[in-house]
Amino acid sequence: MSKWSTLQDRSFLESNARERAIGIVDEGTFTEFAGPLDRRTSPHLETLGEAVEFDDGIVTGVGKIGKTPVFVISQEGRFIGGSVGEVGGAKMVATLKTAIALADRIAKEFPKAADDEKPVVAISFETGGVRLHEANAGLLAHAEVMDQFQRARGKVPVITLIGSKVGCFGGMGFVAAATDAIVMSEFGRLGLTGPEVIEQEMGKDEFDSADRALVYRTTGGRHKYVMGDCNFIVADTVGAFRAQVAELAKLPVSAFEAMRRIGSAALVEKQLKGVALAAEMQPKDARDVWKHAGNADPVALANVPLDAFKATVKRLAL
Amino acid sequence: MDTLLGQGRAAIDLICDPQTFNENTVGAKTFDDPDFGPGAVVGTAKLEGETVTVIASDADAFNEKFPVVYAGIIGMEEGYKMAQAVYATLEADKAVAKANKRPIVLIVDTPGNGPGKVEEIFGMNKATGAYQLALAEARLAGHPIVAMVIGRAISGAFLCHGLQADHILSLDSDFGTMIHVMPLTSISRIIKKDMETLEKLAEGNPVFAAGPRFFSKLGGVEEIVTKIEDMHAAVARHVALVRAAKSQSDEATGPVGRGALGAERGGRVVRPEVIKLVEGQFAAVASAYLPGAH
Repeated sequence: MSKWSTLQDRSFLESNARERAIGIVDEGTFTEFAGPLDRRTSPHLETLGEAVEFDDGIVTGVGKIGKTPVFVISQEGRFIGGSVGEVGGAKMVATLKTAIALADRIAKEFPKAADDEKPVVAISFETGGVRLHEANAGLLAHAEVMDQFQRARGKVPVITLIGSKVGCFGGMGFVAAATDAIVMSEFGRLGLTGPEVIEQEMGKDEFDSADRALVYRTTGGRHKYVMGDCNFIVADTVGAFRAQVAELAKLPVSAFEAMRRIGSAALVEKQLKGVALAAEMQPKDARDVWKHAGNADPVALANVPLDAFKATVKRLAL
Repeated sequence: MDTLLGQGRAAIDLICDPQTFNENTVGAKTFDDPDFGPGAVVGTAKLEGETVTVIASDADAFNEKFPVVYAGIIGMEEGYKMAQAVYATLEADKAVAKANKRPIVLIVDTPGNGPGKVEEIFGMNKATGAYQLALAEARLAGHPIVAMVIGRAISGAFLCHGLQADHILSLDSDFGTMIHVMPLTSISRIIKKDMETLEKLAEGNPVFAAGPRFFSKLGGVEEIVTKIEDMHAAVARHVALVRAAKSQSDEATGPVGRGALGAERGGRVVRPEVIKLVEGQFAAVASAYLPGAH
């Protein structure tokens, strides 16, 4: 385990779930929930004779950034692909419930609390969704997380962080889309159907999952930024993700509605303009959409350093 | 008729009051473009005389704009169309008291979400997420939502269309109903455990095997319906049960309620322990997170 100060310059991509959790909040403030010492392992993996982890591959806890309570959920891609089962799903749900309960308590007992004294939730996604070894429980847990998000609306902002090797796919792909704000690095990937599955369904000519460049320009951070599917794109360091969460933590909860991409009738109408565009364009490649958004040379734009990308990119207007 | 697989439209008349379904109208909203999201069937019907919103899938429809959408798959247009039907329901009953909001009946027979390149470029995940948030909002606003599984309720598509309901009913597996993330044969291949072992383990642990009975043991299905002709009465009865439960607590039904049911039925007993542990651990440090505590 690295020290907090060295974690800040560390690659988010290369860090593990616990390092990300600890590094996102202020030094020494992280308290872990249902951590390795509690040994809440998956009984279902045990039944199957599979190796277990004492944290079931999800780190949950609470810390602070300045005065703000920051509830953290951080998935570990190195353990069965960051998949969600009964225990890990319950840890996610419990952390969200706890954050909402704190927000309710503060609203009741401290009506004059400042915006930066109210809790936020940060979720570092690194997952392909449901854990097949306990598929049914994993699926039910996804629905429960989604329900907690809706309960959190207008009370606790939920911020997604994606910059891991596994990316965020499967059921967790739409769970992430349902949060208030999404922060990605250019190495983060977000989608529903993973590259291998699209290849399997549509054939290698249509989608070659071994083509890393194709995979990144279809689901990677830069593309999601062009599409408006992520709100912020940051450098690949724990410190850069932390700085973005710190900025957001100061905002009133009401400011987050404007960052959402889904979650209201008006936003559905807006997204449907994108769907109509997809039907009309029938893009063969994400680059076609970059061009449509006003980026004359998408290949060059994909390869410039991140700061230059942010300074010059045109985002799709719907 | 011993299966309703692929017959979402026919099921509407079996579940609701016959001949009452008015397709493409929900409250003040009409869906006028026949080519828009043809895989999703939305409209208004009566159930025991009461106005209900109905959302189903059409397994015979093919979306020409998005060719991955056929056989009841929920594509981008379909997901957003279903979400629109829910928001139109909320709008229609905006002035109605919480206890009297109109029910939403989900007729579930869908094999998946649209798995294509265009879908990933534009974000299929948003369409299915949008529909789930709409259902959760309607459920929490008081609308009783009852899902009736008549065919396929597969993985992400079931999350999208079904698992946000207050109560979920399923025809028994004799009728060809399927509820799973993946068939056990696929799971066997991916997790590298032979079928014989998995089938034996499934007898004592419902957590990975496919089918409504296993989901029921986990609390993922409230009730198994054993006759097609019983669906109408069962859905109507559950609308009443949901209303009664929701008048007591907004945690008695829906995903949270099914969590409690899973523990009660012995299928998911670890979940509540973990939630309790986390709540206790935060309670021990909570004072440090209150305003002025720094």
